[in-house]
Amino acid sequence: MKMKKFLIGLVAVVFLFGLTSMALAKVIKVGGLKDTTGATSDVGKDAAVGQAEFWSHYVNDHGGINGKKVKYIWFDYGYRIPEAITKYKLLKRMKVAAIMGWGTGDTEALSPTINKDQMPYVSDSYSAHLTNPKDWVDKKGKKHLGTPYNLFFSSDYSTNARSCLTAWYDKKWKPRGEKRKPRLACSYMFGSPYASAPIEAIKNHAELLGFEIGPDQDVSLFALDTKSQIMALQKFKPDVIWHGNTTMSVAATIRDAYALGLRADHIVNNWGFDENLPRLAGEAMNAPDALTVMGATPNGFFGQECDLMDEVVKYAKKINPGIPLEKRICRTVQGWANGMVLWEAMKRADKAGDLTGPGIMKKGFETMRNFHIGLCTGDVTYTADDHRPTGGCWVQEWKDGKFQKVEFVDVRGRWPKQWAKEWLGW
Amino acid sequence: MPKKSTVLLIALIFGIGALFASCAGLQTKPTAANFKDPVITLDYIGPSYYEGFWYYGKAKVAMGKAPKGGGSSPVTLEFVFDIANPNGYPILLDSSQFFLYFDDYELRIVKDMNEMWIPAGKTNSKVLNVTLTPFSTYVKFLLASKELALSRGDKPWDKITQWWTGIPDMSFKIDVKEASFSFSANGVSKVVGFSATYHR
Repeated sequence: MKMKKFLIGLVAVVFLFGLTSMALAKVIKVGGLKDTTGATSDVGKDAAVGQAEFWSHYVNDHGGINGKKVKYIWFDYGYRIPEAITKYKLLKRMKVAAIMGWGTGDTEALSPTINKDQMPYVSDSYSAHLTNPKDWVDKKGKKHLGTPYNLFFSSDYSTNARSCLTAWYDKKWKPRGEKRKPRLACSYMFGSPYASAPIEAIKNHAELLGFEIGPDQDVSLFALDTKSQIMALQKFKPDVIWHGNTTMSVAATIRDAYALGLRADHIVNNWGFDENLPRLAGEAMNAPDALTVMGATPNGFFGQECDLMDEVVKYAKKINPGIPLEKRICRTVQGWANGMVLWEAMKRADKAGDLTGPGIMKKGFETMRNFHIGLCTGDVTYTADDHRPTGGCWVQEWKDGKFQKVEFVDVRGRWPKQWAKEWLGW
Repeated sequence: MPKKSTVLLIALIFGIGALFASCAGLQTKPTAANFKDPVITLDYIGPSYYEGFWYYGKAKVAMGKAPKGGGSSPVTLEFVFDIANPNGYPILLDSSQFFLYFDDYELRIVKDMNEMWIPAGKTNSKVLNVTLTPFSTYVKFLLASKELALSRGDKPWDKITQWWTGIPDMSFKIDVKEASFSFSANGVSKVVGFSATYHR
């Protein structure tokens, strides 16, 4: 009888040991929704590949989530919002702990759902519309829902736009000593949520700095020829043009401006300003009489000297040996930077014993104060009242065949009252 | 005094344990040094779903909502790879990914993250699928493929027509490039690159 009890005990111990091993081998799933084939695939492919290198390899090689392995599952949704919603539902059924999202259209469309589901959603959309965790009312009295589960590492598009305009004003306009008002025009795809997101902010900033604002130009993300828009701009004679699109159409517009002799300077949002832009713009950015082109750079270019960059390059070589390094661009770095903030938040939440959506937010993200990512990004802070990660942005310029730093614009520091009281959420 | 059956049961448990232990001892332990590259070959590419070539612009549909920009004929292609494991231990295929090119035009990433064990010394087949439409392919001509088309003087719709009507015979060059197959065994990981041209 005693022996029987002993055997039952032995079997129970073995069984428990097995269960414990299974628990130790627990895998945490992280989802991804990316565009590698659609309207933003010119920048989306490299970002998707880089983010997969980060989550599937770098993170697991560096301890996962406090020793637990991460399984990264990502889908291409081709920039089709219905498909993004469908794939989001699939990821939810697969019980992912958090999602690495992509564009402004799908991120804003999914925002009410992910916030209801309490799903941390770290997007490559840096729209300022995603930065206010609380419900709020704008100047016109319109009510907006808070977006407490939407996050990203970068300065938001509105801060990028304010930074670019300020850097141009400080470093290009002021030294000219002109007495008249500088003239700004905006070139972007009106129907694109990404491209139109910071337009209200840049116009507000232009008024603040005393600019004259010209007519907006509607330029498709697929534009091959923008001569009619450039000819329309010639009447207004802008001193500087804001580009809100992605690289391919920004390059087409700068090329046409150069070809038609429009000598305005150009400032570009981050998704239009990368290693491919000077190549695609050709003479317009490289000839002796090249145009001045500056852009928002919330992170370093691929291979640029920054903390952690050697790991980005190392994993690009190791995990995708077939992709030549010269084809890799700053989008990989952006993918890593966004991954870094979610990884840190998940480690903190897990350490606090709460890897749920609310746990990742409250015990992870919202405990970060000046968290240093590296990769030439700003240090990030998230609070329960404000999800704008940083208060400014590096503005760089393509000059003499390379990217050169122009100015770090500390928007929060220069306009503290507006930053704190007026600019959150748009 | 324990019963004879109890003694036999204890002996059986220890016997099975010893058997497992000896089997484990026979198998080589995976290390970074002895982890040989799995050998990957592209067996074939074939359509698993095909509707010919058609497209429409605006349409009134009997039910539901027609796509805003119109519709075009989908084709699903399957890519069948043979993956041989030359190692003396099983390996896990973690993920597979490649870039698909038609006539040097990059169309899209094809990837699969479903894991698969490959026994020691054996060859498994891995099938990856992708669905393309003429419209989604046209978008690539406006972005990544724009420069190449301009330099070659190719008209996007001519190329798309040639590809979609040529699928039954696979009568154009298809490249699988920049591929990355990720494997692991006992915590040791390895990535194997791959490229192949398929032209029947």
